[in-house]
Amino acid sequence: MKLLTDALEGLGSTLLLLARALSYTRTLPRQFGRFIEQCYLIGYTTLPIVAILSFFIGSVLALQSGFAGKDFGAKQFIGLLVGVSMSRELAPVMAAILLAGRVGSAIAAELASMKVYQEIDALVTMNIPPARILVLPRLAAVAVMMPVLTIVADLVGWFGGAIISKYTHFIAIEPESYFATMRQYMHFDSVLNGLIKAEIFGFVVVLVCCNVGLNTRGGPREIGAAVTRAVVVSLILILVLDFFVTRVLA
Amino acid sequence: MNNSQQTARVGLFFLLGVALIWVTFETLSGGKVFKDKGYELIAGFESLQSLKEGDEIRMAGVRIGEVKGTRLAPSGRRAEAILRIDTGVKIRADATATIVMSGLIGTNFISVDLGTATAGELRPGAEIRTKATPDLGAVMEKLSSLGTKLEDALGSLSGALSGDANNPGLIKKVDTLVTENREKIGATMTNLQQVTDRINKGEGTLGRLVNDPKLHDELLASVDQIKAAAGDAKNFVANAQTIIDQVKSGKGPLGTLVFDEKVSADLRATTQNLRALSDKIARGEGAIGKLLTDDSLVKDAKAVLKKADRALDGFDDAGPITAVGVVARGLF
Repeated sequence: MKLLTDALEGLGSTLLLLARALSYTRTLPRQFGRFIEQCYLIGYTTLPIVAILSFFIGSVLALQSGFAGKDFGAKQFIGLLVGVSMSRELAPVMAAILLAGRVGSAIAAELASMKVYQEIDALVTMNIPPARILVLPRLAAVAVMMPVLTIVADLVGWFGGAIISKYTHFIAIEPESYFATMRQYMHFDSVLNGLIKAEIFGFVVVLVCCNVGLNTRGGPREIGAAVTRAVVVSLILILVLDFFVTRVLA
Repeated sequence: MNNSQQTARVGLFFLLGVALIWVTFETLSGGKVFKDKGYELIAGFESLQSLKEGDEIRMAGVRIGEVKGTRLAPSGRRAEAILRIDTGVKIRADATATIVMSGLIGTNFISVDLGTATAGELRPGAEIRTKATPDLGAVMEKLSSLGTKLEDALGSLSGALSGDANNPGLIKKVDTLVTENREKIGATMTNLQQVTDRINKGEGTLGRLVNDPKLHDELLASVDQIKAAAGDAKNFVANAQTIIDQVKSGKGPLGTLVFDEKVSADLRATTQNLRALSDKIARGEGAIGKLLTDDSLVKDAKAVLKKADRALDGFDDAGPITAVGVVARGLF
């Protein structure tokens, strides 16, 4: 029962936080500096790990599908399989998971520390809403950066698959053939689908992590617990939402 | 890191992302931001097989549109595919649409033929003519029935060859025939062997023809001569044809004679005159007629000749005297 109450409380406070943050949207131009800083943290510094991870995900996908398809002549469709899998599913989900692990944890830790050390209370006392200066720039930054991270993940994953397809002896498909299959059967809809999903996931991750951080109560020990909770909830929400968003977009 | 550097990096990063999205979009969707609305045609089929929305429409292999949707006709008696054709593509009224399977994994497209150049164009919303194509299931069914028939035919053939208790099969009959006529067949084979031996040795006409190169050359020369003769005959026929053509066109004396009406009339008149003349001669009329029919003239002629003869005899006797007289009269 307590679990359900906690879940509902979390959902309600998250939605309220979102509403409050969005109500300050017109102050965003004045917070351009904070927005850029968050963009840098969320997008620019996350790019290397997203690229590395996507390269190997694309490679493994090509390797496994090549292994499965080599016995019945389905090797030429590896390009399509990797292309569609990466753009529709793996790139947005992996980007969101990395965001939760790398950025979400940092946000939760930062806001939880501010809360524990009463900086948030000080802001409130000075009539500076935390939703305006702490949440809104992050939400805006993730909305701008998530599509960029996802498209990079898509392309790096596709190229990873192409390289593995060429140099693995039991696949041995030239990149021209790999990309020709992808171009023939794949449409931009798949990529757009993935970008929309990534946008939703990124938004949810940042919002949840901000909410968990801002609602931390107690001493310094709670900071670690808040980070763990924020990441776990984010991961669960990413995968649960993935199903429903895919159903809606399909 | 100062603030402006951070801003520049974020800006660059964002631009990179937008550029990548644009490149992906251009590559996968052919750069069409807004889809060409084109115009629609209706294609009715007994079965759409596995045709689905988004499948291509090709004319002579070139993509000209896509299937916008599929539905059952309001009458419920057929299925209809709504075809979205690109603007600027003209489809003739007698063009035919068929569903073509392009791969074994179930990808289909609609193929539209070119139609005839003189036919009118189909207007938006019009219905295009269609032709049913058998789907894979129907083909397999026919193959199955073909297999059954083939099996029956092979069974009958097998029965005919091996036979049963009452009626010995073909193989048995052939076996009996060979067994009974073994000696005759052996003799025939021996004869055949002898004949081929002789041919190999160059004996007899056939042997020489096969083995003697001279005979072969002569045969070739004969064939050449026959060819030359045929060529001459061809020329002759051509010349004769030319003459006939000239005669037909009324050229030359023969042509004039055959085709000129005036000459024909003259000839007819001449013939009639000749006939009249010969009739008169036959009847003994006129000088020539009398000459030919009346013998009194001959008698008269004979009498005249006799008289002349006698006169000449008399003249012979008096000749020298008269001659001397004439000479003397001249001298004095």
